Amino acid sequence: MSFVLGYYVALIAGSTFAAYTGRRTVFLMLFSLTLASFIVGIIGGEGALRFIATAAGLLALAAAVSYCFREFLVAVTKPSLSKELKTAPLTAAFGMFVIFTYAIAGIFAPWIAPYGESEVITQAFAPRDENLLLGADQLGRDIFSRIIFGARNSVGLALLATTLAFLIGAFAGLMAAVKGGWFDNLMGRTADVIMSVPSLIFALLMLSIFGTALWVIVIIVAVIYSPRVFRLTRAVAGNIVVMDYIEAAKLRGEGDWHLIRKEILPNSTAPLIAEFGLEFCFVFLLIAGLSFLGLGIQPPTADWGSMVRENATLISFGDITPLIPAGAIALLTVAVNFVVDWMLFRSSGLKEV
Amino acid sequence: MSKFKEKDVLLKIRDLRIDGFSDETWVPIIKGVDLTLHRGEVMGLIGESGAGKSTIGAAAMGYARDGTRISSGSIEFDGMELSTATEGERRALRGSRIAYVAQSAAASFNPAHKLIDQHTEAPVHYRIKKRMESQEDAMTLYERLRLPNPSEIGFRYPHQVSGGQLQRAMTAMAMSCRPDLIIFDEPTTALDVTTQIEVLAAIRDIVDQFQTAAIYITHDLAVVAQMADTIKVLLKGEEVEEQTTEKMLDDPQEDYTKSLWAVRSFQRPQKKRPSDGSPPLISVKNIDAAYTGGVKVLDDVSFDIYPGMTVAVVGESGSGKSTTARVITGLLPPSAGEIQFKGQTLPKFYKDRNRDQLRQAQMIYQMADTALNPKVKICDIIGRPAEFYSGLTGPALKQRVDELLDLIELEPAKYYNRYPPELSGGQKQRIGIARALAAEPEFIICDEVTSALDQLVAEGILKLLDRLQQDLGLAYMFITHDLATVRSIADEVVVMQNGKVVEQGPKDEMFQPPHHPYTDLLLSSVPEMDPNWLTTLLEERGVDNIGEAATS
Repeated sequence: MSFVLGYYVALIAGSTFAAYTGRRTVFLMLFSLTLASFIVGIIGGEGALRFIATAAGLLALAAAVSYCFREFLVAVTKPSLSKELKTAPLTAAFGMFVIFTYAIAGIFAPWIAPYGESEVITQAFAPRDENLLLGADQLGRDIFSRIIFGARNSVGLALLATTLAFLIGAFAGLMAAVKGGWFDNLMGRTADVIMSVPSLIFALLMLSIFGTALWVIVIIVAVIYSPRVFRLTRAVAGNIVVMDYIEAAKLRGEGDWHLIRKEILPNSTAPLIAEFGLEFCFVFLLIAGLSFLGLGIQPPTADWGSMVRENATLISFGDITPLIPAGAIALLTVAVNFVVDWMLFRSSGLKEV
Repeated sequence: MSKFKEKDVLLKIRDLRIDGFSDETWVPIIKGVDLTLHRGEVMGLIGESGAGKSTIGAAAMGYARDGTRISSGSIEFDGMELSTATEGERRALRGSRIAYVAQSAAASFNPAHKLIDQHTEAPVHYRIKKRMESQEDAMTLYERLRLPNPSEIGFRYPHQVSGGQLQRAMTAMAMSCRPDLIIFDEPTTALDVTTQIEVLAAIRDIVDQFQTAAIYITHDLAVVAQMADTIKVLLKGEEVEEQTTEKMLDDPQEDYTKSLWAVRSFQRPQKKRPSDGSPPLISVKNIDAAYTGGVKVLDDVSFDIYPGMTVAVVGESGSGKSTTARVITGLLPPSAGEIQFKGQTLPKFYKDRNRDQLRQAQMIYQMADTALNPKVKICDIIGRPAEFYSGLTGPALKQRVDELLDLIELEPAKYYNRYPPELSGGQKQRIGIARALAAEPEFIICDEVTSALDQLVAEGILKLLDRLQQDLGLAYMFITHDLATVRSIADEVVVMQNGKVVEQGPKDEMFQPPHHPYTDLLLSSVPEMDPNWLTTLLEERGVDNIGEAATS
């Protein structure tokens, strides 16, 4: 009872303070939460209120962390960069924070993880306790440690594949836009052919032919995703090559490489970076999907996709363990998209809408 | 002002202040402007870009564009206060009682619908007329606006009619509900002089016939002199002065107004061809050219450009002026004929030319916005040609860039590390000139370099080009449709029509009769400051014989 009372008192005090100091959005947020809580409290009782309070607390915590992280970044970076960072919304700061955490986890995995990547330490499906933070998997390995190592494998592989896809796609796209003619046509039709095969089936086919070595996965995924990059790059560059400054550079006698590097690329980085973030998510999901199907990263290497599959049986016992690696994937995807959204907003005409 | 009685006030704006949002803060862009417009009165708003003309025009409809807000002041339209009216009330006025004619009709019409369907939209929406009634009315209006085939033209799509016709169709659309007030926002700026006349005549007639009040926004004084009863001059969001047209033209009070009036007076002495028989710098010989698979756009074009002289190439859009420039630079290889540089034939395609041949023909573009890479620093834009052609690096390159910046009258220390979007239109154009100069050419093609600029700024650019010509002995090929520019800077004139040279010769001869009929049409179509110029001209040509009719 005292919780319910305290909860309402805190909310109403907060809204009153916000209204008094004239913070309109804060007031609206708090007070609508209060009103919603009245209804939910009547229907769901104290349990529902606790749930709302926890959720709101988590959100507030995330916001506070993002805020601090942004201020931290602003404080430690150079003035030119920190001026940009100041304009970042909290969502972008949250995204950056999550990416930062993942990066730390991936880089320092052997030191952070309490147990080895494929070390069997206890019996299968051991429950959670203070030693096994998230319990054990089907072979008795520590899930927490495997998630930490998984950050390194899954994210690292996806990053590598996306970068390669971008190198191939962007280069081909820029060349096609500058050269035009038969080269453009050849590239375009090649891209069409690759895109016409469903990506997962294509990947499965190729992996069954060439085996599942890591470098094979990277190259195949890169080839599958490069046509999307190619199309975007070519479209963006196509709008730039018709500009007068390109004509001026051509008339000056500049070569294609100079045109691409100095004149076109600086003007197309914004959409390309945004696309990089999106593609990264897709590539990540594709690799996770391949692992889930057993053709991606091979055991005993820890990988989030295969972890979901290996522990899938637990779902029928009402245990959420398989959802934890899935949640890690989802969180990273959301985080990357938050950052990309901000970059798009910052560097395109979107802000004028 | 005597023409309009005090009680017939239609629009009364008092102490209007509008803020614009930039760099995260609101800055005032209109700083307290008063405006009184009577029924049937046409008021011309003139000023440079950024003076707030269009913003006031929009405010007269109670409308603030995105990123602007009306911060204070009152806008009273026919007794109704617009600044406090609800959005719904204001919207009910627009289209029915206040109409708007935009600068670019091509961009303002929806390309997916027929003209007449767009015309009837407002009357049907406001239930003023039934669709059929409104269509008939549209045809009447088209006829009054002297559009060809008035009963049929409305059933075309916007891309199927010419620019001048589209602009008139838009005026007709604005009249569709017989509004009390029409706002014309630079309706003829994008048109050729010969087309401009038709539109001006049409607008003036229709405004007279229906006793509509109008606000006519433009930066062209000669145009506003034909259209307006009163003229209001604006500068940076403030009113400079307001007078009746005659008084304003004869006796401007303020210094700023006088400077606007004086713009067209710049003229430099005409040079003659060298008499010692030396070869021309650039010689265009019997050029035919066509774009891939298309019809011939250039037909037997020949002219010579001698060192240190300015040859103006004039003509309407589509006459082949810019194509000629593309042929000279080698972007469009000609199908017949040749380009000679100092007596030597240049390869037809630019990729076959060597660096020394490429550096001789530099271009300055019309739109400085698209001619300068927005992501490259000024020092690199100017430095690159110097580095590329002369192999300068390090301190020598920096010194050369500083020299060039000095040459175009921009302070090197201040602009060295800036990016093009941080500069004003005139400054960008100067950077474009510096880039051309960096190649140390003897010949520069200026493609409509001043037509996107305000008159005062344009005059500055012309003076700069003239000074550079004297200092560096440059030859210019000056592509323009503005004969006032030709008068001020050209030595020789080449008149083009439909891809052919119709007349060419020294400037003084070209401006003296007898002319080729087309030259005559071009010359007489240039608006003059005399407020009766349009009336006189129309009488001379006969009502049915203006513009298009005369060209065909």
